[in-house]
Amino acid sequence: MSGTDRSRGHKSIWRQLADSKVLLLMCVPAMIFFIVFNYMPLPGAWIAFTNFNYRDGIFGSPFVGFKNFEFLIKSGQLWMLTRNTILYNLAFIVLGNLLQIAIAVMLNEIRLAWFKKLSQAAMFLPFFISSVLVGVIAFNLLNYDTGALNALIKQTGGDPIKIYSSAGAWPLIIILVHLWQSTGYGSIVYFAAIMGIDRSLYEAATVDGATAWQRIRYVTLPSLKPTFIILVLFSLGGIMHGNFGLFWNLVGNNAALFQTTDIIETSVYRMVLSQNNFTTSTAVGLYQSLFGFALVMTANWIVRRINKDYALF
Amino acid sequence: MRRRNIVQVGAALLAIGISMPALTAGAFAQDAPTEITMLTMGNKPTNGRLEAMLEKLNELLVEKANAKLDLFFIEWADWQTQYNVQLLSGDDNVDLIGTATDWLYAWENAEKGAFLPLSPEMLQANAPKTWAQVEADGHWDLTKLADGKIYFMPEDNYTQYTNHGFFYRGDWAKEAGFPNGEITKFEDFTKYFEWVKANKPDAYPWDVAGANEAALTGYIQGHTDFQTLQGISAGNYIPFHTKASDPYTVTSWYMEGDALVEAAKLAKQWNDIGVWREDALNYDGDTREELYAGLSGVEQHHTQTFVNDIVNNMNTKQPGSDPKFFYWGQENGNFFKDIFTHGAMAVSAYSKNPEKALQVYDLIRNDKEIYDLFNFGIKDVDYVITADGKLGYPEGYDSSTMALGTDYWWGRTDEFELPRTTQAPNRAEIIAALDARAKDYPYSTLIINKQNIDSTLAAMAGVLSEYIPQLQYGKFEDPAAAVAEMRQKLKDVGYEDARAAIQADMDAWKAARGL
Repeated sequence: MSGTDRSRGHKSIWRQLADSKVLLLMCVPAMIFFIVFNYMPLPGAWIAFTNFNYRDGIFGSPFVGFKNFEFLIKSGQLWMLTRNTILYNLAFIVLGNLLQIAIAVMLNEIRLAWFKKLSQAAMFLPFFISSVLVGVIAFNLLNYDTGALNALIKQTGGDPIKIYSSAGAWPLIIILVHLWQSTGYGSIVYFAAIMGIDRSLYEAATVDGATAWQRIRYVTLPSLKPTFIILVLFSLGGIMHGNFGLFWNLVGNNAALFQTTDIIETSVYRMVLSQNNFTTSTAVGLYQSLFGFALVMTANWIVRRINKDYALF
Repeated sequence: MRRRNIVQVGAALLAIGISMPALTAGAFAQDAPTEITMLTMGNKPTNGRLEAMLEKLNELLVEKANAKLDLFFIEWADWQTQYNVQLLSGDDNVDLIGTATDWLYAWENAEKGAFLPLSPEMLQANAPKTWAQVEADGHWDLTKLADGKIYFMPEDNYTQYTNHGFFYRGDWAKEAGFPNGEITKFEDFTKYFEWVKANKPDAYPWDVAGANEAALTGYIQGHTDFQTLQGISAGNYIPFHTKASDPYTVTSWYMEGDALVEAAKLAKQWNDIGVWREDALNYDGDTREELYAGLSGVEQHHTQTFVNDIVNNMNTKQPGSDPKFFYWGQENGNFFKDIFTHGAMAVSAYSKNPEKALQVYDLIRNDKEIYDLFNFGIKDVDYVITADGKLGYPEGYDSSTMALGTDYWWGRTDEFELPRTTQAPNRAEIIAALDARAKDYPYSTLIINKQNIDSTLAAMAGVLSEYIPQLQYGKFEDPAAAVAEMRQKLKDVGYEDARAAIQADMDAWKAARGL
């Protein structure tokens, strides 16, 4: 009896697959991407446990256990890097999502079609500026001797400020630049979600005498909750991964700022590429991935506890 | 059935189609010249002169070795990274690799397997002239790892000085009150910098870009008898030293003595004066051009650059500037002759034609016709020989737009070099004066086994790259406290273990030589 059930279930899976041929075909590029760039290199993580050399290769090099991880702890920077990476990402996620929702809601309330398009485009543009250029622009605005900001301060009789040696200023600068670059782009998803909300809900609210503010509060925002949770979940998985391009181009090799700006990516880049050290970089990458994996699982578990439908799996 | 036939025929046709080009290529391969690619450091020239030279050169190479040469450039932007990444990538398109033990990580890359070990037989068969010369001078030992194998061919037959120091302006120094415009002590630059700051509002006293440690090493070298142990790098730093007064005890100027703190205090004083840009660490401009434009009072590099480029350029672009050179260790004679592996040529471990690569190198290094063409270019177009036998340039020649740009520093030879019209007129005196004082590097044959201290060195690099740039630019309020903090961190990451490991190699080396 159970045998028949299983065979029927089996068959229906194949039928399901056959029915979704086109959808599956559309998934193929993404699947190939992840297989090639994420799954195939997995065995290479073995480097983290070896004293790697090119002649012996990845699996021939001598095994050294956890020695490469010692470096991470020895250098005393593991804690600082983890803290910086997570705090920056938390700020990006929380502030980013709130701003994106706010922008999307405001866009939705704009009635002038041309103004809506214009403001959307204007907010979208910074996303296309490469972080190399952002770094150059920031340096020309903020540097002490010739920067625009200090020129303005000097002209108005003030004392110029040494931004590139004040570590305290950089979390603010980096978060601002990140929001400036990503908010317009991110708000599109929320805007699309708002577009998908059933219009009759708004009509009903209007009939009930809801003000514009009340419509946002009681219709729009609750309807955005699933989107919000899914987006936050996705970003939590990447919380251990920093925005390398942005940090590297804004801060570069300025050691005076490392205390507040060094994230795992930039630190590994500097140490590994000036030291040729593949083993350490792999060790850090593995640490980063395992930590990130644990975070995704935890976040998903929490969400499932709250509401099963919102969980990813 | 019919369908299967079609498939079979199709497959057969496909197979023939694929193998045809291979067959035809194979039939001619014996005669076709082998393409050899040489990796060199420098910005790839775009003025066509290099290509014109290579065309002529390849005619000669085909004739003499049935090979053709192409150059692959690692450009100067972020060169340390680019170089190592290129070598680690296992790219089999590169056959010859320019390298150096004191500035281009030759030992590290040899150890990691980027270079092909060169057997004496292979060298004798394919680079006989190079083999004979290096063998006669007894320099092969300078190119071996602990496994006793040769990993590169040294540029050991070429005189140059690459000891670092400040290029400064004699005219400004004179006005600042130095007799003859000559500065003879490192600390005296404070006075020069103050004068530039006060009298040349457009110029930075020392416009300097990015991470470096010249302000520290310049002071330490001239005020102590520390000598650097080459070949053990922690990132961009070379952290182990000995003292001339105690030459077999491994130590570090980052860890021992007061000189680093004194140097850092002087750097802070300079920073407070405004000697460099406040944001020098994030600045990446071309400071040499600033010097040429009269916008910087000082530029830091070595003797070779001074006699070959600085004097001529300053005399043309800043007439009357009377360029001068102050080198580290000038006060106390604590500086060295170039080691013989300051330039060297390795064969890539991934090269498909290592023998042919060696043959090409042997020609470039030892065949005068090829050497001249490769290094100087096409006669009467890229260079001329003047009546007094110097190497000069044709009428209307502008080195900034018409330079050949071969950037060959991996096997020059004194025998084929000529004095150049663009060299400092007193080059010979400068070299003679250095020859009279410079010390010979005592540890050329000392091989350090770094296998067990690699992770410690990496951790030390992390600490040094955090503190040294800030000390160099005087960014700490209390340099002494910062140095103490840095030393504690270096101890925490295992400095003492690494030092002991190197000391063990030093002791063994000393015992083997009966010192």
